[in-house]
Amino acid sequence: MSAIRGTLELSRAYLLKTMRSRSALIWTLLFPQVWLFMFALIFRNMPDGMNARMPGLFTITAFSGAFFGVAYSLVTEREQGILRRIWVTPATATMVVIGNAVRSLVMVAASLFMQGFLARMVLGVNFGPAVWQVAVVLVFGVWAFVPLGLIMGSAAKDMRSAPAISNLIFFPMVFMSGAALPLDMLPGWLQGFGRMLPTTYLVQALEGVMVRGEGLSQQGLPLAVMLTSGFIAFGFNSLLFRWESTQPLGAKRVGTALAGLTLLYAIVALVT
Amino acid sequence: MSIRTRSLTKTYGTTEALRGVDLDIESGGIIGLLGPNGAGKTTLVEVFEGLRTPTAGEVSVMGFDPSLESVALRQHIGAQLQATHIPDGLTAFEVLRLFASFYERSVPVEDVLERVNLNGKARELARNLSGGQKQRLAIGMALIHDPALLIFDEPTAGLDPAARRQLHEIILNLKERGRTILFTTHYIEEAERLCERVVILNRGQVVADGTPLELVRSSEGKSTIFIDVDGPFDPAPLLAVGALEQERRGAHYRFSAIDSTAVIVALGEVLRSQGVTLTDMHMHRPTLEDFYLEMVDDPEVADLAVGGESEVAVRKPVA
Repeated sequence: MSAIRGTLELSRAYLLKTMRSRSALIWTLLFPQVWLFMFALIFRNMPDGMNARMPGLFTITAFSGAFFGVAYSLVTEREQGILRRIWVTPATATMVVIGNAVRSLVMVAASLFMQGFLARMVLGVNFGPAVWQVAVVLVFGVWAFVPLGLIMGSAAKDMRSAPAISNLIFFPMVFMSGAALPLDMLPGWLQGFGRMLPTTYLVQALEGVMVRGEGLSQQGLPLAVMLTSGFIAFGFNSLLFRWESTQPLGAKRVGTALAGLTLLYAIVALVT
Repeated sequence: MSIRTRSLTKTYGTTEALRGVDLDIESGGIIGLLGPNGAGKTTLVEVFEGLRTPTAGEVSVMGFDPSLESVALRQHIGAQLQATHIPDGLTAFEVLRLFASFYERSVPVEDVLERVNLNGKARELARNLSGGQKQRLAIGMALIHDPALLIFDEPTAGLDPAARRQLHEIILNLKERGRTILFTTHYIEEAERLCERVVILNRGQVVADGTPLELVRSSEGKSTIFIDVDGPFDPAPLLAVGALEQERRGAHYRFSAIDSTAVIVALGEVLRSQGVTLTDMHMHRPTLEDFYLEMVDDPEVADLAVGGESEVAVRKPVA
């Protein structure tokens, strides 16, 4: 029982901390809205304008919120010794991971909701035949992205190395998945590489339900890939979690995690 | 028995942080762990908390092996770590409520706030608390599940005298409630005031272990006797019983002696026989600090003579 209570309290505490941090609120909630209007300006003359770009923007918002939010929070708490203090209680790494994940899910959901609301009300963006389908697809996306942020948060040693490593991951995820630029603008070999990125599958599924007017049943493959990816990555978190940066991460463990995820996406890329 | 170690060793690469520590800590009371920087104090308490795995030897804390049964052990111990940050975006109440949720049983947050004198600060964000208040909150986090054994790592480091005094009161209250408190400190007078037992670590080994009084008595240090006299005074009889004259300025004399009692007795006779009046006198006995400096300055010191039935153990380093 104390594990469930502890996890709920950790989630609550993480959310309270975020809500009381002005910089966290600006970067999590306000910044994505700036992106919305920048996209609207950039793509206003393209065919179908923002309707075609909204899946990509939702993907960028979901990925950056889930990935950076979780990764930086874990690294900061480890650097500050907060994780170490929790370590001398009966709380487990799983509780900390879930607490962080819940905070991230709530904050990203709030950010996406605000973005969607403004897109609909101010820019008149069309969300396809059913808004709830868009929400379901986004849940699958965030499920796939949050554990990647957690892995990043465990792998990065400190806040000096964390931004460099996360940007190394963030830019391919955004530019080679069709999120920032239409995928057909990229050369063929890069499009193949893009099929090995989880963000590509969120863009695909969102385009299906928002732009092509398809149902959820037609998004089986991308949804399955994101679901499986999330499970695998969450599993690897218990393998990689570090209470303090002096704990060795182990090249074998990092290798296993990366190999597992790469294998999944390589198989999907080959099949499709 | 709260803690028992046998031949406990911990190495980091080629550095030996602990070198064969044998320690038995019974339940109840305050035990101070002293030693210079790098002596192995923090490593030792972190082994007790299950944060470090020993390289060799045995360790049992509250009947648990900290390396293998850390989660179960942590239900029974409360820890305050050296240089730990408190989640500063939460209030004092919220911090304690969070930590209470990790344990199977906990005491009401209000009770803990009262115990650490933070009742008026419950709704204050941790980041706005003073250094002393933060440290008391850190102690409160360790008390939230009312553990039998408390391990504090330099709880008073960097605090002003008033804040230190407040923490001392909290620690003494815990002792009165039957808890066992093991704490590390660099403040010798703090250990002398609070502890029933003091363990001195040097270069990863226990070099002394006993009550503060026993340790002081086993000191090699000499007492210093200061006297002021009125009239012609010949100190020769005092020198005959072992006093060494250190200073003479007019009517002011300073002597040192191992057996200060013999010198005081001789002084009485000298004053009577020479018809001299004693106008002032005071004596400085060796302190725990003197003993501590003897032990850590010369880690090779071996088997000091310990008088009578004293239980003090002064240990010879094995390496």
